Amino acid sequence: MTATENPPTYKWIGTRPIRHDGYDKVTGKARFAADLDLPGQLRGAYLRSPHAHARIVSIDTSAAEAMPGVKSVVTGADFPELAAKNPEHDVSVNVMARDTVLYHGHAVAAVAANTQEAAAAAAAAIVVEYEPLPALFTIDEAMAEGAPLVNETNFTKFVKSDEPSNLGTVTNLERGDVDEAFANADVVIEREFTTASVHQGYIEPHACVVDTGADGKASIWCSSQGHFRVRSSTAEVLGWDVSRIKVTPAEIGGGFGGKTTIYIEPVAVRLSEKAGRPVKIVMSREEVFRATGPAPASKVRARVAANKDGELIALDAWMAYNIGAFGGIAGLIGAMSVASYKFPNLRLEAYSVLTNRPKSAAYRSPSAPHAAFAIESVVDEIAQQLDIDPIELRLKNAAVEGDLTAMGMPHPRIGFIECLEAIRDSEHYRSPVPEGAARGIASGFWFNIGEQSSATVHLNEDGTATVITGSPDIGGSRASMALMAAETLGLDVTRITPLVADTESVGFTDTTEGSRTTFATGMAVVQACRELVDEMRARAATSMGVDLDAVEWVDGEAVAEGQDSMGIPAIAAQAKRTGGPLTATASLNASGAGPSFAVHCCDLEVDEETGHTKVLRYTAAQDAGTAIHPSYVEGQLQGGSVQGIGWALNEEYILNDDGSLDNASFLDYRIPVASDLPMIDTIIVEVPNPSHPYGVRGVGETGIVPPMATLANAISRATGVRLTSLPMSPPNVLRRLNER
Amino acid sequence: MPIVHLMTDHRRFTDGEAVIEVDGATVGAVITELERRYPGLGEALIHGSSAGVNGEVHSEPEYLAVGPDTDIYFVAPLAGG
Repeated sequence: MTATENPPTYKWIGTRPIRHDGYDKVTGKARFAADLDLPGQLRGAYLRSPHAHARIVSIDTSAAEAMPGVKSVVTGADFPELAAKNPEHDVSVNVMARDTVLYHGHAVAAVAANTQEAAAAAAAAIVVEYEPLPALFTIDEAMAEGAPLVNETNFTKFVKSDEPSNLGTVTNLERGDVDEAFANADVVIEREFTTASVHQGYIEPHACVVDTGADGKASIWCSSQGHFRVRSSTAEVLGWDVSRIKVTPAEIGGGFGGKTTIYIEPVAVRLSEKAGRPVKIVMSREEVFRATGPAPASKVRARVAANKDGELIALDAWMAYNIGAFGGIAGLIGAMSVASYKFPNLRLEAYSVLTNRPKSAAYRSPSAPHAAFAIESVVDEIAQQLDIDPIELRLKNAAVEGDLTAMGMPHPRIGFIECLEAIRDSEHYRSPVPEGAARGIASGFWFNIGEQSSATVHLNEDGTATVITGSPDIGGSRASMALMAAETLGLDVTRITPLVADTESVGFTDTTEGSRTTFATGMAVVQACRELVDEMRARAATSMGVDLDAVEWVDGEAVAEGQDSMGIPAIAAQAKRTGGPLTATASLNASGAGPSFAVHCCDLEVDEETGHTKVLRYTAAQDAGTAIHPSYVEGQLQGGSVQGIGWALNEEYILNDDGSLDNASFLDYRIPVASDLPMIDTIIVEVPNPSHPYGVRGVGETGIVPPMATLANAISRATGVRLTSLPMSPPNVLRRLNER
Repeated sequence: MPIVHLMTDHRRFTDGEAVIEVDGATVGAVITELERRYPGLGEALIHGSSAGVNGEVHSEPEYLAVGPDTDIYFVAPLAGG
């Protein structure tokens, strides 16, 4: 770890206790959504569209309903029509098509039956008559003059228009005089970059179990990053009050942004309601690929101007994100993610473009990897052309506190310089490049967000404590909550049990996304613990017979002059006599999320006969603010790096001419496995976020931003060829090498 | 008066003006005044922005108090993965 400022000395924060859910995870006792079975449970199966775009003329479910074991069938007619401007309209239509299918794999009907096989057979027996419509799959097709509409209910966001459009957003960000800067530049590099759609690739498919009772209420057990969002979205799609739905979060086997929305829960509720029995739906891997959100494909044209001493004086970029069949703001976010360099002159034009493909979803630092691949590649090429060390060129231009982001707001305290210095000073960067290999450098940025969180802390009668939050734990956050509680209370972390409660047992909490949980939910935990400390001081004052002001809280004990100090167990034991149970709750809307920067360094070699790229060594440095549990910070840095390497080298959606996905399995959609990569070395940089009580920034996302350019920059140095299209898979690399 | 900084997309309501002084004790009051002076801008800000105030980004910041010299940066709403 690299601590760049003089952080306070903590007793618990920064230690590495075994995670509280660890034993259950490694012994197989942890219960994921698909592990739950209820008495009388049915299984659900879907009928999905064989067309990328078509009008549904008719649906005949009679044959399916007559089949043995079939208990209920639902179609779009079983769901209310939401107004086009309802925020859940697109979710509703994505969950179940109404009069039009918008992509190959779009849900058309679903069946609940006694067995999975019976449900699947009945779904296949449903007869649908389609009228095919023109389908568009690429950015160029959808943006072409006179292009047919992808989705007649899409209107460009943030502009007043009564005309439907193939554009989700149109964004222009500009400062300075870009044209004059380019006219006066010593060096100008311009390239066009493309990236493929890639899936988050979580190991656990979407799954839920739903029991809709005679009282009209539904209990949902599911895998998600935000069970409160599951509740609100499901309620809206069904036209219900949220009070009719209780959602219990199961353990989650990966999400990475892909489980921030819903796909199956309202369907399971309707099937259960109609059948009068519980229903379980578990997506197959093929369904996950075909019908859940990948990250968008993209096209970016980036032009950078520099002086001969390496000062970057202007960026001019055009960006387009292929967001699938529903509205979204990927292009807007992509433009806003340009925040790493000072660029006194800047012009960004960005589009979110609808196509007849699955609705794109968030994936770690959504939209930032696409922009960074382009800009970090061009910046690196300028370093090559000017023969300047790539880190020195970045240090010369790196944004610091007060510099403007693309959206015009000045950066708060950030740690980009510190990350660059951490890589520059690392043993990796100071060691010689292995013979036959080359080294690449690139950086990444992500905003991080705050939003709403709740936490309740109960002091148990023996002085142990329970910390309850509403944030699903996708990266070790329970351990982080326990550590922050331990630090604030002065209580041994092993005496704290952190839990994630259902929607009826804890205050509203926004989804685990945007690297927000350790930051925002951690703030709620700290606030609740501080209130509990105040209450424990008051109880101790009562027990001691002294004024509250005479009692201080020192390392988990109430201390007053002339009195025996009281530890937490003693205060807990006196609780009934001093006022009853000791508990505290905090809810907040957190502001002040600290942006996070990362810098990656990679050594690799390219087999020029096969085009295969072998990563030899990889180091990721990232500003965590403060690493609450360093092991899980390192895990986030490593996970983001590996997913970015997969995105860079192999992963891509391959579509057939009809828009069907040709590689909807992990056999053909190649994600990295352990044997593909070396150990990912990590350097945790700590530039504390002044807006968090312990300096947390959030680390879950930024790690995926630098790898694509890091590898492309290394390949450029290894082969002399600048690769601008992802994935840089063996056939694609070989093709470019042969073009030399 | 608080000083409002607009993204390029929002400047179409203000004839290209990027920085505007607007009276108001809260972000919501500032937005109301902006809507009065530039019809459509207030609605665009309510539905399509967060506010950066004193170095911190706030979502749904209508009731956030601002002082006479506060810089308010209206930026797009953010989520994440």
